[in-house]
Amino acid sequence: MAATEPKAATAEVVKVDLFEDDDEFEEFEINEDWLEKEEVKEVSQQWEDDWDDDDVSDDFSRQLRKELENSSEKK
Amino acid sequence: MAYVSMGEAHRRITEYLNRFCDAVSYQDSSTLCRLLSFSSNSPPLLSLADALNVFQDASSLIRQSDKFSEYGEILAHLFRSLQSYRVGNLVEAYLAFEKFANAFVQEFRNWESAWALEALYVVCYEIRVLAEKADKELTSNGKSPEKLKAAGSLLMKVFGVLAGKGPKRVGALYVTCQLFKTYFKLGTVNLCRSVIRSIETARIFDFEEFPRRDKVTYMYYTGRLEVFNENFPAADTKLSYALQYCNPKRERNIRMILKYLIPVKLSIGIIPKDELLQKYNLHEYTKIVEALRKGDLRLLRHALQEHEDRFLRSGVYLVLEKLELQVYQRLMKKIYIIQKQSDPARAHQLKLEVIAKALRWLEMDMDLDEVECIMTILIYKNLVKGYLAHKSKVVVLSKQDPFPKLNGKPVGS
Repeated sequence: MAATEPKAATAEVVKVDLFEDDDEFEEFEINEDWLEKEEVKEVSQQWEDDWDDDDVSDDFSRQLRKELENSSEKK
Repeated sequence: MAYVSMGEAHRRITEYLNRFCDAVSYQDSSTLCRLLSFSSNSPPLLSLADALNVFQDASSLIRQSDKFSEYGEILAHLFRSLQSYRVGNLVEAYLAFEKFANAFVQEFRNWESAWALEALYVVCYEIRVLAEKADKELTSNGKSPEKLKAAGSLLMKVFGVLAGKGPKRVGALYVTCQLFKTYFKLGTVNLCRSVIRSIETARIFDFEEFPRRDKVTYMYYTGRLEVFNENFPAADTKLSYALQYCNPKRERNIRMILKYLIPVKLSIGIIPKDELLQKYNLHEYTKIVEALRKGDLRLLRHALQEHEDRFLRSGVYLVLEKLELQVYQRLMKKIYIIQKQSDPARAHQLKLEVIAKALRWLEMDMDLDEVECIMTILIYKNLVKGYLAHKSKVVVLSKQDPFPKLNGKPVGS
């Protein structure tokens, strides 16, 4: 992550790449304040931790099953 | 630049001088803030700058009055900076502002109460932003950028002034965040360490006392650092804090938090709902989430390739690449469930041959030795419970919970 700053250019104008941070957090105003509304709680609840189920009825699983059944036929 | 008569210029400069000195005398921080916010490009400041460029000898005005000359040094540098700023000499503007800032901080030290803290924040912000502009000017002239680095040193000095027992200490977190922005932009994030250590271990600081907006910003940056260090539980805690307490109206900031939090959550087996990705325009993660849900290794590879540049820039590429093991686990689980449905008695035996067939279908050509190697890794990392019967080329799965969930912990911890 370290930047190496180039030495001064020769006679030509050298374009130096300045480091940028694409994700610089926007400044909050000095007196910006806000209430913890419902919205805030909502964003924190948009996660699933029980997605790893036993359901194999989706397309991918059905195609996988077909592949595996072919393999056992070939034996 | 607008035409200004000498009389009018004199009037504007005197007005500013009075406002400044009154603000200090009456401890009017919000007025002082407005007087120092160059980057706001407010009409009063711009018209003052025009006046200064016409009048040229503002120092004489300052000297003429005891009221003004008390802050003579501060004002002289400030005016010089504003003049240069107005005509686009940003390196000169920075250099003068740096002198102003040093003089201002000296005064600030002498003011016992913390009344001018917000004005100090403005000075810290302005110096960073001016330094960035100055560096752009330097590089466009083929010279080496060095002003942002200098601004960093000044900010550290300000931090030191605030790191004491008095009421001024609640300002330290704001300055810390300006330092973070500086170091992240310079790419010298290792320098964050010393200021983090001060904030988190010094007895004078109580984290809860700091303003919420600074705590949110702080957690965002330290959360990002934890991601770089692959410390996922800590990254989860910090980024989740930032997410929970960020102003919900600041959607760009929320998006940035999520951009780093999502890979962390994925690493501990938690996936974002699709609505979340949609709402904050985080489509680069859609296929990755899908690949994890399905166990589709081919889709994961495509997703990583498709957004490789973006992921590399933000530094999450390696985190996402490591999800591969979890996708393997999901695939193995699906194979197991499918087998259980057709032949329950033998389902807990996964033939390496069968796994290889599935992988070939997903465009991953591997011989049985390679498959065995991968299965060994999955078992070692506790993603699969069982053992390898090497001679019969079979993975014998544990009858109980053969594919343990991560339960909020990263793989292999």
